[in-house]
Amino acid sequence: MKRILIVDDAATVRLYHRMILEEAGYQVVEAINGIEAMEKSLQESFDLYIVDINMPKQDGYGFLSDLRGRDLPQAPALMISTEAAANDRKRAYIAGANLYLVKPVKPTELLTHCRLLLGEAHA
Amino acid sequence: MPFVKQQQSETIGQDERKRVRDCASLELQLSDQNPTARRWAARDLASCPESSAALVEQLQQESDSSVREIILTTLTQLGDELAVASLVDLLRSEDVALRNEAIEAMKLLPDEVAPIMGNLLKDPDPDVRISAVNILESLRHPHVETWLKEVIEQDAHVNVCATAVDLLGEVGTVYSREALENLKIRFSNEPYISFATDLALKRIRLA
Repeated sequence: MKRILIVDDAATVRLYHRMILEEAGYQVVEAINGIEAMEKSLQESFDLYIVDINMPKQDGYGFLSDLRGRDLPQAPALMISTEAAANDRKRAYIAGANLYLVKPVKPTELLTHCRLLLGEAHA
Repeated sequence: MPFVKQQQSETIGQDERKRVRDCASLELQLSDQNPTARRWAARDLASCPESSAALVEQLQQESDSSVREIILTTLTQLGDELAVASLVDLLRSEDVALRNEAIEAMKLLPDEVAPIMGNLLKDPDPDVRISAVNILESLRHPHVETWLKEVIEQDAHVNVCATAVDLLGEVGTVYSREALENLKIRFSNEPYISFATDLALKRIRLA
């Protein structure tokens, strides 16, 4: 079963994404900010990261840059944020995101992009 | 080895604090090359009521996050009009960390932030409005639910409303029930709004 780490400080957003992904057969782990996400990434491996940008303590850019700079098994990252500006998108890719979506994300949109990043081409 | 490093760092800190501590000197030390000196200056300026302008000026160019954090704490302690205005400016910063630090600082200033909250929630930039809603998350003020209700009744931006609904799930009462139900209708094509609204309504019913 593919494992996905959701990194978002908003509990409702985490629950919404978790329900969609678990219903589709994925195993989901949650983190509330970049620091907690890094702690979990050091302890276990994930097949995909879903990362918010605006989070207290460490934001999504900081987490992804840190993750990409470490000697850890790397996995694709989908960055999801309320920020629609082109500059935010660019910064996300520089930090190490593979894809950038603007909230709120519809269930079919989330699953399509997750499957694409997980290499499940039949999706 | 880490112990030796800590000793050196502490020695530097004590030396830097032995400098002149009057307000004018502290303001000058805010731009010292040594971040330890800047940290001490920022901390000690909490006893200088006229220092907000100097702190804000340094904050805008400060690269050391620990110094930035102390400047924000001192601005929060000063809590004057200029300090609050500078925190508002930071909500427009491109620097996500700085923006989040400003949000956290403003949460600690309910009496100072309350008079400007109405304007923040009507700011033309939706990201500033989202930040304003985030400030409400732990702003200990009796109007919090009223502000959130007004957001979900009036704001046209889905993510501003979504942020407000998330919070109403925690602090909402029956007072917001009708507004939540109307929001669900207004954004009937957005599954997230339906999900978050249902969750908030359920929590209100159970409360």
